[in-house]
Amino acid sequence: VRAIPALVLCAGAGLCALLIDGAHRGGWPPTDKAAIGYSAGLLSIAIGVVVWLRRPDTRTGMLLTAFPIASLAADLDIVFPASPTAITAAFACESLGAAFLVHAVLSYPTGRFSSRLDRGFVVFAYVYATARGLVLLLFYDPHAPHDPLMFDWYFRARPLTHVAWLDVTRIVDVFDGVLFAAALGLVLLLVRKVLRASPGEQRIVLPLVAATCFAALQVAVQLAVYREPVNSWASGNWFWVVTFASVATPLALALGILWGRRARSAVADLVVELERTPPGAVREALARTLRDPSLEIALCLERGGYADGEGRPVTLPASGSGRAVTVLGPADAPVAALVHDPVLLERPALLAAAGAAARLALENERLQAELRAQVAELRASRTRIVEAGDDERRRLERDLHDGAQQRLLAIGLALQLARGQLEADAETTRELLDEADAELRAALDELRELAHGIHPAVLTEQGLGPALATLAERSPVPVTIDGVPDERLPAPAEAAAYFLVSEALANVAKYAHASRIRVSVVRENGRARVEIHDDGVGGADPSRGSGLRGLLDRVQSLDGRLRIDSPPGRGTHLEAEIPCA
Amino acid sequence: MLCDDLHVSATVLVVDDHPSFRSFARRLLDDAGFAVLDEAGDGASALAAVRRLRPDVVLLDVLLPDTTGFELADVLAAEPSRPAVVLVSSRRATDFGASLERASARGFITKSELTAAAVAELVGGGP
Repeated sequence: VRAIPALVLCAGAGLCALLIDGAHRGGWPPTDKAAIGYSAGLLSIAIGVVVWLRRPDTRTGMLLTAFPIASLAADLDIVFPASPTAITAAFACESLGAAFLVHAVLSYPTGRFSSRLDRGFVVFAYVYATARGLVLLLFYDPHAPHDPLMFDWYFRARPLTHVAWLDVTRIVDVFDGVLFAAALGLVLLLVRKVLRASPGEQRIVLPLVAATCFAALQVAVQLAVYREPVNSWASGNWFWVVTFASVATPLALALGILWGRRARSAVADLVVELERTPPGAVREALARTLRDPSLEIALCLERGGYADGEGRPVTLPASGSGRAVTVLGPADAPVAALVHDPVLLERPALLAAAGAAARLALENERLQAELRAQVAELRASRTRIVEAGDDERRRLERDLHDGAQQRLLAIGLALQLARGQLEADAETTRELLDEADAELRAALDELRELAHGIHPAVLTEQGLGPALATLAERSPVPVTIDGVPDERLPAPAEAAAYFLVSEALANVAKYAHASRIRVSVVRENGRARVEIHDDGVGGADPSRGSGLRGLLDRVQSLDGRLRIDSPPGRGTHLEAEIPCA
Repeated sequence: MLCDDLHVSATVLVVDDHPSFRSFARRLLDDAGFAVLDEAGDGASALAAVRRLRPDVVLLDVLLPDTTGFELADVLAAEPSRPAVVLVSSRRATDFGASLERASARGFITKSELTAAAVAELVGGGP
């Protein structure tokens, strides 16, 4: 693939040599001007080939190479006016070079058109070049009668493709009128392109656009002043203007490439600068190097998601939002994401180099952000745990007050009544004692239930398996326990697993409308994996309601993880990993 | 018994959200010679019963599902029949502090110490 641009460069050099040699032998154009003008063309070809090699993914390089080649070929008729082959080639390329140039500039730097107007103009340029070429190829005939004032009497051969004679000079006049309007139109389109570009793009596009505007305007001036393109070989001043116009655009592009080299050396400066950059200032350093003041940095958190330097969560912009995202670091362990001007995507090497240079500093920032996020999370969960403890105490007080305490009071009243009845009525006394007895049993049951809720004795005494079995028995939704480790787990892990299942079963019964629940506990790699799956309505959200939130806190306090997968309509899958080494 | 001769005809409404307490309290007071007219489980039905039955005494639990005994006592104090309110709770008087001192009630009895005599003593000045 790299051979093709090289071959094209050789062919361009050959064409250039052919023209200079031909001019020298034939005497026209003047040898010194020919040497300068055609060498300028070769320079443009070389620049185009360099761009082609550097950015093979866009057509820009190819078009910038084709532009000077077509322009050189269009001069074959002047150097070899008696050669039908040369005249045919020259006519075919008459306006093609300009069309290539317009295409390259309007699609720069992405290689794609940013508007339908731009695309339409390029299509028009190709149609114009083809039509103008065809008219000359088919109808030009130097032997036919014609206006002796036109300079094209100079060509003495007919193109190989000649079919009939037509008064070509009149048609070419029309084409020149269209060319004048098109040159002005192109200037307007280029101004519009600059105005619509992002600030980063403007910096890249502006020199190129200025050069192309110059080329278009000098054509318009020629046509306005002389009503036809100037024979620049015969005019001292116009020769320099036209020659400069032909190399201005490639030169502007070369400047852009040089700017890229300078940016590369800016990366070297960045590496040195980061050495003394305090944490938190990496963004400023990177923004300076990439010349994108709008640059933002999102640090990848280990538990997923992104945060800014302060540990606050950050959402990356979606594609099509006018911002581009570049992720730094390996795909499986990204360090940070740069949110930047899309124009930087045109300089992937620069982005990659700057990103690589900043990676270590960003890794440092990431760890700090991670730490801050963890501290914030820890602080929040500590508050929640304290609040949950207070809530639990209030609930216990209320349960005791409404339950067992009331029953014991009733027993006291019953005994008081029985004492009053003791001598009077044995039957009533027995009834009162029976009632007191019934209240006492109910009070004992309630106290047992309450104690079980505080910490189930079966868990302490017999372990997770029997404790989960009692939970399953009490659940209104049928529960299948697929497996529980036979051996005892550490008490905190057992308690976390038990309350996780307990809360999950209560939630399923309350909200899920499920017909069955599966529970399993597996011990592997020093962790207990607890899974609870139901076939209910799904849509559970841990951010709502304190139950799941409290469970999350309990699991996280043991350095565990809790994952809830609850797509609406497809049940809820709750999976916790609790360390129990 | 103890208070038979004192309050032969004093009528009582028992207000508490626990049915077992209501029924035992009713029998305790009935046995002592009070005439318990009715029971109520919450503030709204208690107010309705007071307006309908115009009891002399309201035995009123502090914690009710729809209001507190303190608030209901204030409402009852504005009723034309002006019943004597005796607040009761399973908690102790010290748990309520100032709200108890400000309450429009004759007094307070902890439920575990509830006796007909204690009620009679508080409403002694009444009809």
